[in-house]
Amino acid sequence: MLTVLVRNELEKTWRSRWMVFAVLAGLFFLIAVGLYSYYVYHDHRWSPPPPVAWQNQLRSDIANNESSLDNLQTVKQQVGTRGRVLINGRGLADAETRFRQAIAGDQYLLDNNIAPLSAFSVTRAALFALGGIIMFLLVRIFGWLASEQIAGERSDRTIAILLSRPPSRDQILVAKAIASFLTSLAVVVASFLVTYAVVAFLMGAAGPIAGQVGIPIDGSHPLNPSNLVIMPISVFVLMCIGGAMLAVLCVQGMSLLVSVLTGRWAAIGITLGVLFGASLLSSVIAGIISLITGSADSAHFLNYIFFNVLAPVGSIAPVFGNGASEAGKGMQEFGSEIATLAVWTAAFFVAAWFFFRHKEEAG
Amino acid sequence: MPAIIEVDHLSKNFGQLRALDDVSFSVAEGEVFGFLGPNGAGKTTTIRILLGLLRADRGSARIGGHDCWDDHSGAARLFGGTLEQPGLYGYLSGRDNLLQFARILGPIDEKQIGDLIALVGMTERADDKVRRYSMGMRQRVALAQALLGRPRLLVLDEPTNGLDPNGIHGLRILLRRLATDQGLTIFLSSHLLSEVEELCDRVVVLHRGQVRAAGPISQLMNAKGFRYQIDVSDVDRALAIVRSVDGASAEPGTIKDSITVVSENDLARTISRALVTAGVEVDQLVRTQRGLEDIYIELTGVPSASPLSAPTAAVTVP
Repeated sequence: MLTVLVRNELEKTWRSRWMVFAVLAGLFFLIAVGLYSYYVYHDHRWSPPPPVAWQNQLRSDIANNESSLDNLQTVKQQVGTRGRVLINGRGLADAETRFRQAIAGDQYLLDNNIAPLSAFSVTRAALFALGGIIMFLLVRIFGWLASEQIAGERSDRTIAILLSRPPSRDQILVAKAIASFLTSLAVVVASFLVTYAVVAFLMGAAGPIAGQVGIPIDGSHPLNPSNLVIMPISVFVLMCIGGAMLAVLCVQGMSLLVSVLTGRWAAIGITLGVLFGASLLSSVIAGIISLITGSADSAHFLNYIFFNVLAPVGSIAPVFGNGASEAGKGMQEFGSEIATLAVWTAAFFVAAWFFFRHKEEAG
Repeated sequence: MPAIIEVDHLSKNFGQLRALDDVSFSVAEGEVFGFLGPNGAGKTTTIRILLGLLRADRGSARIGGHDCWDDHSGAARLFGGTLEQPGLYGYLSGRDNLLQFARILGPIDEKQIGDLIALVGMTERADDKVRRYSMGMRQRVALAQALLGRPRLLVLDEPTNGLDPNGIHGLRILLRRLATDQGLTIFLSSHLLSEVEELCDRVVVLHRGQVRAAGPISQLMNAKGFRYQIDVSDVDRALAIVRSVDGASAEPGTIKDSITVVSENDLARTISRALVTAGVEVDQLVRTQRGLEDIYIELTGVPSASPLSAPTAAVTVP
C-alpha cells in the first residue's frame, strides 16, 4: 500500500509542479553558461585549463599566506602601538595567528601527503553544491513544495476523498513525506552532478573519486594526528549529501507540520516566512537579550533553533575546512549540527503525525 | 436485511454550535435511503462522520460494523463516497484521477475504469484535465470515483449539484439500476425532493441537528391526513372560512385563485358546503396526494421573515 501511495504522491508532485523543476533546470543551465562565459572572458581560452596537482596548489597557498604574513608584519611596524587595524574584522595579532596556523596546516598536509578538501573536483563540488547558495535556494523550494502536500489538498478539497479511502492517515502522511524526500533527493543529486561537471571543467580535470582526504576535527586548532580525520572521498561526498538531505528533511518536517494545520496560502506563507525571516528575527531577539543581560552568551540558546543551524550556509555540509577563514569549523561542528537538526527533524515529524491523526476535516 | 449503516445517538458540536444532537438511524443493506434537511441541518456533518473525516463527540457511527473513526480502514473498504464539492485533482485528467484511487483500492484494471467512465457518460472528455470540466462533469467523475472497487455502499452528498436536467435524469436512472441490478445500498443526501421521492425507500429528515422524521416515504406521506387544492372566486374570504372549520388549516395555493387545505380527517364535504353557504364560488376541489415536499416543509419550514425558509408565506418584492 505504501508503495502505491508514494507512487501516487510522486505523480501528483510531478504533474502539478513540473514547471518548478523545469525552471530549476533552466536556472542551472544559465548559471553554467554564465560561469563558462566568465571563464572564457577571464582566462582568454575556450578549453579547460591544465590541471594543477593539489600539492602544487598547497605550495602556492603557503606562498600566498607567507606573503600575506610579510605584509602583515609591515603594517604592524607602520602602525606600531598607536592605532588599531582590522583585517577581515579581526585584530592584527588574531590575523597573524590564523595565517601562521593555515601555513602550518598546509605544510602538515604536504609533509604527510594528505589531500585537503579543496584538492579534488568532486570534493569541491560537494562543498559548493551541497551547501551555500544552491542549497539555500533548494531548501526553500523543497519547504514550499512540502508545505502544499496536505494544505494544498485541503484547499482543493481533495483531502476529504483521500482520507475517506482505506489507507490510514499514518500511511498517507508517511507516503507524502517519502515522496517529498525522494523528489528532493533527486534534485539534490542532479544539482551535485551538474556542479561537479562545472567544477571539473574549471579545475581542468574530473579528478579521482577514489582516494582520501583529510578533514580537521576542530578547524580552530592546528592540524595534527589527533585533530584530523582521514576518509575516502566517496564517504566524504556521501556524508555531505547526508548532511544536506537531513537539512532538507528538517525543513520538510516543519513544512509538513504547518501543512497539516492550515490551508495552502497560510502554509506557504508561514513556511517561507520562517525560512527567510526567522533567522533575522532571531538576530534581533539575540541583540535585545544581550542588551538586557549585558552578556552575548545569554542568547546562545538561540543557536540551537533549527533555522539558525541552516541559516548561515543554507545547509550544513560546508562546515569543513582548514584555511585561515575556516577556523572554528570542522567535523566537531558538523557533528553537533547534525545532532541538533536530527532532534528538530524528529520533533517536527512526530508533531505532524500527532496533529494529522487527530485533525478533523470539517470542509 | 442487516444494517450496513448504524448511527447511534450521534452528537457533534463545533464550538458553541450544536451541529448534531442525538441523531440515530440505520440503513439496511440494499436500501436506497434519503437523507433530507435544509441547509445547516447537519447532513454534511453526518456524512463527514460516516466518511471518517470528523469524529463524533458522543454516540457512534458504524459502517458494516466498523466504527467510522476508530476503524476507518475497515469501514472505508465497504463504501465509496462523494461530497458536495467534488474533490478531484484539477491538474490530472478524469481518467488519471480515477487511476489514482484505483491503485489505492487494489487491482482495478484500465478496462474497469473505462467502463466506469462510460457508465457516467464521460468517455469523450475522460482524458481532458479536470480543471477544464464543468461542475456537472466533475460530479460524474466523482461518482465514477465513488464506484471504483465495487463498494457495497454508496454515500452521495448532493450528487445532482451542477447537473443539467438531462444529467439529473441520467443519474436517477443510473442509481436505480445500481440499486436494483447490483443490490448496492445508496445513502443519498439531496435537496431535490422529487428525486428522493422517486428513488428512496426510506428517508430521515434532519432539522437543526435533530431527526424530525424517519421512515418509509409512503408511511410519512399517509401519516398526516388529507390535502386539497380548491379553486375559488375569492381567495381571502375562502381562507377565512376554511380556517374557521375545525381541524382544517389553509394557505394560499401555488396556482392563481386557489387555496391549499390540510386536515387530519376527510373534510372535503364540510369545507365545500361552508364555502358555498358563504357565497364563495368553488370551481374545483381536488383531493391531492401529500408530496414529500409538503412533509419536508411542514417538518422544517419554521415561520420566518424570509420566504426561502417559510415558502408558504406571502411574498412582496420590494
